[in-house]
Amino acid sequence: MSGYRLSSGGRVDRSRALSFSFDGAGYQGFAGDTLASALVASGVTLFGRSFKYHRPRGLLATGVEEPNALVSVDRGPARVTPNVRAPQVSLHEGLVAESQNRWPSLKFDVVSINDRFSALFPAGFYNKTFMWPRSAWEKLYEPVIRRLAGLGDSPVTRDPDHYDATYAHCEVLVVGGGIAGIEAALEAAKMGSRVILIDEQDELGGAALADPALWSTLDALTAQLFAADNITVLTRTTAFGYYHQNFVGASQQLTDHLAPSEAQGPREKLWRIRAGEVVLAQGAIERPLVFNGNDVPGVMLASAGRTLALRYGVAVGRAVVIMAAHDSGWRDALALIEAGVHVAAIVDIRTVVPADLADAARAAGIALHLGSAITAVAGRHAVKGVTVAAGGTGPAHKIACDAVLMAGGWTPSVHLWSQAKGSLVWNEAWGTYLPGKPQEKCRVVGAGAGAWHFGSGAITSVLPNSLPVSRQKAFVDFQNDVKARDIQLAVQEGFRSIEHIKRYTTNGMATDQGKTSNLNALQIASGVLGRPVTEIGLTTFRPPYTPQTFGALMGHHKDALFQPVRKSVIDDWATAQGAVFENVANWRRARYFPKGGEDMDAAVARECRAVRQSVGIFDASTLGKIEVVGPDAAEFLNRMYTNPWKALQPGRCRYGLLLREDGFITDDGVSARMADDRFHLTTTTGGAPRVLGMMEDYLQTEWSDLDVWLTSTTEQWAVIALQGPRARDVIASLVGGIDLSPEAFPHMAVREGTIAGVPTRLFRVSFTGELGFEINVPASEGRKVWEAIFDAGQPYGITPYGTETMHVLRAEKGFIIVGQDTDGTMTPGDMGLDWAVGKKKPDFVGKRSLARPEMTRKGRKQFIGLLTEDPQELLEEGAQVVTNPDAPIPVPMIGHVTSSYHSATLGRTIALAVIADGRARIGETIFVPMADKVIRAKVTAPMFYDPEGSRLND
Amino acid sequence: MIEIAPLAIGATDLATGTAPHTGAVNGLSVSLSPAEPRVRLSLRAKDVGVLSAALGRALPERIGTQLDGIARLGPDEWHALLPEGSPVPAVSGQPLSVVDVTARSVGFTVEGPGAVAALIRGCPLDLANFAPGRATRTVFETVEIQLWAMAPDRFHVEVWRSFAPWLWHSIADGIV
Repeated sequence: MSGYRLSSGGRVDRSRALSFSFDGAGYQGFAGDTLASALVASGVTLFGRSFKYHRPRGLLATGVEEPNALVSVDRGPARVTPNVRAPQVSLHEGLVAESQNRWPSLKFDVVSINDRFSALFPAGFYNKTFMWPRSAWEKLYEPVIRRLAGLGDSPVTRDPDHYDATYAHCEVLVVGGGIAGIEAALEAAKMGSRVILIDEQDELGGAALADPALWSTLDALTAQLFAADNITVLTRTTAFGYYHQNFVGASQQLTDHLAPSEAQGPREKLWRIRAGEVVLAQGAIERPLVFNGNDVPGVMLASAGRTLALRYGVAVGRAVVIMAAHDSGWRDALALIEAGVHVAAIVDIRTVVPADLADAARAAGIALHLGSAITAVAGRHAVKGVTVAAGGTGPAHKIACDAVLMAGGWTPSVHLWSQAKGSLVWNEAWGTYLPGKPQEKCRVVGAGAGAWHFGSGAITSVLPNSLPVSRQKAFVDFQNDVKARDIQLAVQEGFRSIEHIKRYTTNGMATDQGKTSNLNALQIASGVLGRPVTEIGLTTFRPPYTPQTFGALMGHHKDALFQPVRKSVIDDWATAQGAVFENVANWRRARYFPKGGEDMDAAVARECRAVRQSVGIFDASTLGKIEVVGPDAAEFLNRMYTNPWKALQPGRCRYGLLLREDGFITDDGVSARMADDRFHLTTTTGGAPRVLGMMEDYLQTEWSDLDVWLTSTTEQWAVIALQGPRARDVIASLVGGIDLSPEAFPHMAVREGTIAGVPTRLFRVSFTGELGFEINVPASEGRKVWEAIFDAGQPYGITPYGTETMHVLRAEKGFIIVGQDTDGTMTPGDMGLDWAVGKKKPDFVGKRSLARPEMTRKGRKQFIGLLTEDPQELLEEGAQVVTNPDAPIPVPMIGHVTSSYHSATLGRTIALAVIADGRARIGETIFVPMADKVIRAKVTAPMFYDPEGSRLND
Repeated sequence: MIEIAPLAIGATDLATGTAPHTGAVNGLSVSLSPAEPRVRLSLRAKDVGVLSAALGRALPERIGTQLDGIARLGPDEWHALLPEGSPVPAVSGQPLSVVDVTARSVGFTVEGPGAVAALIRGCPLDLANFAPGRATRTVFETVEIQLWAMAPDRFHVEVWRSFAPWLWHSIADGIV
């Protein structure tokens, strides 16, 4: 092929020359060109290398179906986009593009040695060859294959661009801005509807852009479009996915068509469109013909040759041969002649073609070879000639040419239609599937519906040839290097369904998703199997229609806005105090407050001692909170929780244990009865949404007769936990309206009053084993109250502590953390919480399951404490526990460590664990095997400090 | 191993704006600003009459509409946005629920000819058909919000306190 710019014609602006580079070489094109058209105009034939054999490849198409010409576009550091289709890259001044999948250069590629030995690389080659020895896969085969395969390079730095996103609503969405789409949009707009018309190209017009006879019509129609104030036109926008209820995803390129220096604002925009009706006007894609040598650079679709000439003013060669099975190839040939391109010959597999076409071609001086086929193509990096044989197997002769155009018929783009679950109907005349019945409010117009005027054609499989298919280089899927013989082989090896044939051969699995190959593969499989195409099935169309950038799909969710990080109202204070944070669910919480270069262990030890000896202050605001209100509030909680709630007096608190229906613990928390018909529930930080959802579920589906309502108050209240023997002294001067004396305000009670002048729900509760309060104040006042308490606590050395210290303190007391000490398979009995199960209650969620024999059988894991023989030895959380470390492998494991800490208070390490029959093993020694040693530990009750609870009730 | 540089501004650095953020979306001017403090009440009852009697005022009947500061969010759910200082009705023993959630949320005002364009960047509702008088619970991207149409081109957005910094910046991000 030796393309060149025609002296006239096309829609490019010849007054605006643009410079660009491809693989380091400088070229020139015009405004209105694509990278592909400008390169062809410059005589470039070689665009890339194929995936498997690294065969030299040229341009096949001028639309999104292009399988070969994938390039990387370099817009500066961190802005290299791989795998972009050259015909979809709008030319701009200074464009820098590189070919891919070649080394060291496009013209000379080392891996193309694969191609010479391609007989050794049949379909399923990887599956068959690289299986043995198994050990070689990870070390040898996979690394080598990975280096050789693959397309462009992935980025290795942050994407500096940002991306926009929006929702949009319209009564009618038209996908495709060809004449059929424009007419549909205008018609809908007349009814007063909001209309959105989207098109993937730089300018509207679709196939009409390659037909100058239609340009004046097109201009008139687009003028009407832009005059209508109820039509939104989005060009450079691809509808990539069609989801339920006419929800269509589309991405709009905003800056990639501009020089980097001119690009401002977001790079792409994600449109999430909800449409009353969707009109698909996506046109049709021409099918290649499958014949020996059909992938030599310079063999391309006839529609591409036509588009290059008539839209871009570029001739694909100086002597063009058309290989046709369809009338449209003849029309293209005549159009090329009119544009000034020399067409040397038309070869048509058919013996009879419409007389008007044949007469016109003869009159134009084109040599005609009816009933013939190309059987070989000369040239490696560019077409030099073709061999044509009558009937494919008859006498052969050679024709010198530098470009071959294939006209194999047309395949409507039914991708979105199929994603929307519209049915497809096989049409024998067109040799393809056409849209049938819609599932959504959706219709197809224009060529996509099979309503086109390109004439008719013959349905072909592999073109006839005296060579057997197994010896032909007749490609079906150009990008994935699937040849006709691979499809044959798959069938011979027993694959019958096209879904299996696809996966075995990888046909249609490249980035173009088989836009040019699926139908040809079907025809070949059908021929080999001797069964009609419709019995072989059709592969599923899935989004996206074309590859999309992650940036476009992410939209706003990038960098700092990737996802919300929830912070309590005390967070700023903790930051100022130098807190180290951790994430808990989507909250971030202060983990510890290091002072003067302390590490975590030192800080936690100091914080623990402060709580045990004087007083500590802790931000518990992230605890889930639910206000349960209504006459049936107590009845509802009685059904949800394991323990009895009806007799709880207002002003008192109770520990609640929540099971799932299967009887396993899912959450816990202390809750207070504020009034007869009002409870203040707490949940774990991570469990809040789950618990509220579960309770709502029961309320709405099981007990809709109850008069009770749930309101999330997690964010209403800031919660300040004040724990330690001096806690009462700290708040004594701040609290109003509440008698703090132990007699008037015992452990597990709640009072309402004020603190630092702010209304409070004051809980006397403890998760540390010390005298303690959890001070609930409206979140808006949380910071102020926190600081007032912190000031009042100075005489007592009040110490802020974080989640790590909280964990240690509760572990010393054996208080469980749901999700850490439990794993979703623990019952109240397993965790030693039988006291929290109301034996006399008629029912509660999970009660039925607790009665199953499995839930009470011997050998279940039970919650216990572990004390290592070496008091400074720290067990690893998650470590497995065994009774005999010398038992033959696999050593039976009886459980695992759930929590493990240094306890400053006890001057040693402590651990909690769940092990089989744990409570019966108290006093025994168990073993924890580690990589380098075996740790011995004694089983104890899960309670290491103040077992009488005397400190709580001070 | 690929090293990715830390972000100059991370999610935890975000704070809710205290002054109006103004600019344009699609060339239409719009401002995002913190709303006045309000008293917020979650009101629940199966029978609108019971709730109406207890509160001594009329309630909006249609789900998704508002009346004098109270929106009907669902069949048994209303939400009140009342002037600061409004009393919380003391009701007990009746088949209803009144919960003071004043401090749970913060409010933003999104106002201007570009208000709809600013909001539909993340809100899936058809806001061109969301006239003043409408109010509903919805989402902005992944975050639950309440959206009240207060006047032509003026919306009140309610969001739980800890999601407010993310939401503020997510809306502001599109107003340039």
